[in-house]
Amino acid sequence: MNARMEQRPVPLCHVVKGVTITGADLEFGGAGARFTTPSLHLDDLVWLRTQPGPAFDVPLAEILDILVATGQWLTADPKGWVAEALEFTVRSSPLPRDVLETSYAGLGRMFSDRAGMEFQVDQELGGAASVDGWREVVTPAGRRVGVRAFPPRLVHIIAGNAPGVAAQTVIRGALTKGVHLIKIPSNDLFTATAILRALSAVAPGHPLARSFSAVYWRGGDAQVEARLFRAQYFDKLVAWGGESTIRTAQKYVGPGFELVSFDPKTSISLIGREIFASEDTLADAAERAAVDATAMNQQACVSSRVQFIEGSVEEIDRFCALLQVRLGVARPGCSACGNPLPADMRSAIEGLRGLEPYARVWGGYEGRGVVIRSEEPVDFHPDGRVVNVVPVDDLRSALRYVTVATQTVGVYPAPRKTGLRDALASAGVQRIVELGRAMQIVAGLPHDGFLPLSRFVRWLNDE
Amino acid sequence: MEYKNPGEETPMTPLRQQLLDMIVEPDAYDHPAGELLPLQLAAARELVAQRLDQISVLRRRADDTGVHEIRTLDDLVPLLFAHSVYKSYPATFVENCRWDRLLQWLQTLSVDKVTEVDMGGVEDVDQWIERLGAAGHRILATSGTSGKCSFLNATEGDYRLKVRHFGNSLGWPVMKPNRDRAVFALFPRSGPNSGIEAGRIGAEVWGRPDSAHFLTAEPLRIKDVSAQAALRKRMAEGSATPGEVAAFQSQNAERAERAQAGMARLIDKILEHRREPIVLTGLWAQHLAILERARTLGVPDGDFNPQSVVSAGGGVKNVALPEDYKERVAQFYAGVQRGGAYGMTEQAQIMPVCPARRYHCPPGLIMLILDGPGERLLNPPGNLGGIVEGRFAFLDLLYDGRWGGLISGDRVTADFGERCPCGRPGPTILDTIARYAQVGEEDHIGCAGTIDSYVSGALAS
Repeated sequence: MNARMEQRPVPLCHVVKGVTITGADLEFGGAGARFTTPSLHLDDLVWLRTQPGPAFDVPLAEILDILVATGQWLTADPKGWVAEALEFTVRSSPLPRDVLETSYAGLGRMFSDRAGMEFQVDQELGGAASVDGWREVVTPAGRRVGVRAFPPRLVHIIAGNAPGVAAQTVIRGALTKGVHLIKIPSNDLFTATAILRALSAVAPGHPLARSFSAVYWRGGDAQVEARLFRAQYFDKLVAWGGESTIRTAQKYVGPGFELVSFDPKTSISLIGREIFASEDTLADAAERAAVDATAMNQQACVSSRVQFIEGSVEEIDRFCALLQVRLGVARPGCSACGNPLPADMRSAIEGLRGLEPYARVWGGYEGRGVVIRSEEPVDFHPDGRVVNVVPVDDLRSALRYVTVATQTVGVYPAPRKTGLRDALASAGVQRIVELGRAMQIVAGLPHDGFLPLSRFVRWLNDE
Repeated sequence: MEYKNPGEETPMTPLRQQLLDMIVEPDAYDHPAGELLPLQLAAARELVAQRLDQISVLRRRADDTGVHEIRTLDDLVPLLFAHSVYKSYPATFVENCRWDRLLQWLQTLSVDKVTEVDMGGVEDVDQWIERLGAAGHRILATSGTSGKCSFLNATEGDYRLKVRHFGNSLGWPVMKPNRDRAVFALFPRSGPNSGIEAGRIGAEVWGRPDSAHFLTAEPLRIKDVSAQAALRKRMAEGSATPGEVAAFQSQNAERAERAQAGMARLIDKILEHRREPIVLTGLWAQHLAILERARTLGVPDGDFNPQSVVSAGGGVKNVALPEDYKERVAQFYAGVQRGGAYGMTEQAQIMPVCPARRYHCPPGLIMLILDGPGERLLNPPGNLGGIVEGRFAFLDLLYDGRWGGLISGDRVTADFGERCPCGRPGPTILDTIARYAQVGEEDHIGCAGTIDSYVSGALAS
């Protein structure tokens, strides 16, 4: 029996309408990843429509004050809850400690960024006037009507591959003033509750705190989901990632209960022959390509996995060798060495090693990074710091590999974006960035092709 | 690497030969672990030493892991392949008919030289397999849910030894096949697939000449499986048109209809023969279809000859079965010999089931129980100890065509106790085999994913 298996189950708390609930009534998870939760009381997880949500009429300025204070609280961590959540997360998350530490250190800043949150409301909802009340609109016929981004009732199935997702969910939820039930993912069990506990600590009993719950149930558990996922309690299901989540969601969506889906995504890079102008530009491009590939140890949707590049095979092989070295460098959001590659990925790569000149492989399986140069994209999903480099005559030839699942495309050098962006967008891409900036996500800009706050709220008229 | 030509015999190392030959003795499954383990270990040591110079993927694995010599069973673990290595070729090699490149890939996993097989005029993957077969390389193909096939090479000698193994393991320990009865195999008669091969071997060892019945004479074609994978890929890329998808689906529907008609005829024939000793092999869903037809005809439960051997198996993934399918089938065939064995495409030496419903290990198969990730050996010292739950892996000493070490996707409970409840020595595998779902990870949710999630299940045939 190994050390992990001997560990006691990790205790998970719930937060229900701002109140922390503890208790080890239920146990989940496999060997080495067991955790306990309090039992669920479904009646406490809904906000009946007979009453407005607690924060529906709280002015946005007041909400921003509380969010900023929550951010400061998270950074200062006076009660040690954030540190505790981090420790538990280190034990249960697939991400390494240094990546989690960096992510946790950044949580407070997301909340303290008042200007950033105002930017979100301005960009996505047209300003505070739409949220705080009925914004006046004059129709072409000259009639004065009111339009309001009305607070929604949302249940969120969030992704757990980056702690920032929980923070972003709470911020977006607070900015819409609605009521929000967050289903905790088993790969990030502690972040959402740590944030909500901080919120309750800075504003005990405040309507905003009472507008949030975060609890765990096993994803797909019909005993819970069939009872909660109903138009009578919630307007929308906000679901992240995986096929299984969406499949489950489809069972429940119907009139009055709609799906807002952050679909599973993959990301790529397009690298022009300009990088071979000098050793400096080559090194710069390899560094940028590595930064984009290793974001959240390549667990994120923005992480670049396939990199199409112009050049001769000899040139491209020089790039591959440099890239492989740069993949093994520690950065914020990525450790120097990730987990060893799983057996399946390793086998898939081993099969390609004997196929020169069709393919060539750099790096080993220990987790520092592998680069595979192949004539076409590989059949498997590069993951765990594996980058597939595919030579092309022209960056436009990469378009045939672009689909609606392709989220971010990093382009180098940046001026090449202009000539490519419309074709990329037409093929399905949602975000085009300069190579090396994939992880620099700006809240308030479109996400996966839509404006999340705008999709979250209910757009209502007073005519 | 020095590749030998097919048919060119390299004598088997004596210990390996000895272990494999034990299967013809009446006490093949009666050897205690303490007696076998030292022999198995020594045979594995000899085999690895030989294969390292023959199979380049194995050689590289040894170089990467630093394991060049087998001193303990633990040393075998880093050298085991995941089944995915046998489908690690780029799918475009098949789509674009790059048979030379596919051979180059196959060579890295083969002992005999395959790159010189003439592929002139070959138009599809089935012809590629046939050409290899004609040159002495017996390829088995499997298809995963992705539709991409694995290709596993074996020699003619491997096949002969496999037939011998089946002949001495099927029916064990109650009966021994002696070519005296009608055989019904609910599979196509031919095709490069392990289930079909097993059906054919079963017919050979059990069947009276000319009394083997198959589901269809239409061979299973790998190109159909590959075509499905290729279309799925083009759907994902967005280049397949709705008309193409519709045409493909109607083609599949026709094929399914033909298969169903064949199945109905065969079921009636099986039921006609139910009073005589027969051998019947099929998938769970097929047995349920027989049961249903029997109900319509008024055939009661327990109406088959008690000397008949009926085995059911196959994956139950993506097949809608009633919860009590095993019980229903058991009740229907009450009284017959319910044969059964545990095995997989990658394994020649299947493990037959004893009256205590446990699977026994033949002397030439080194059973390795690993932890979940497949990295650590859980076998107790000397293969003697208690119950161990883990991932099933093995080194099959039979193969001369390829490396026989594999990590499976099966979660098993193995009993390393001295004796099985049936009275024979252990170790054994309990009848609780399940797939390795990623327990506890079922609701790990991430934002990263592939276009595969975007292709709706339109291609189910």
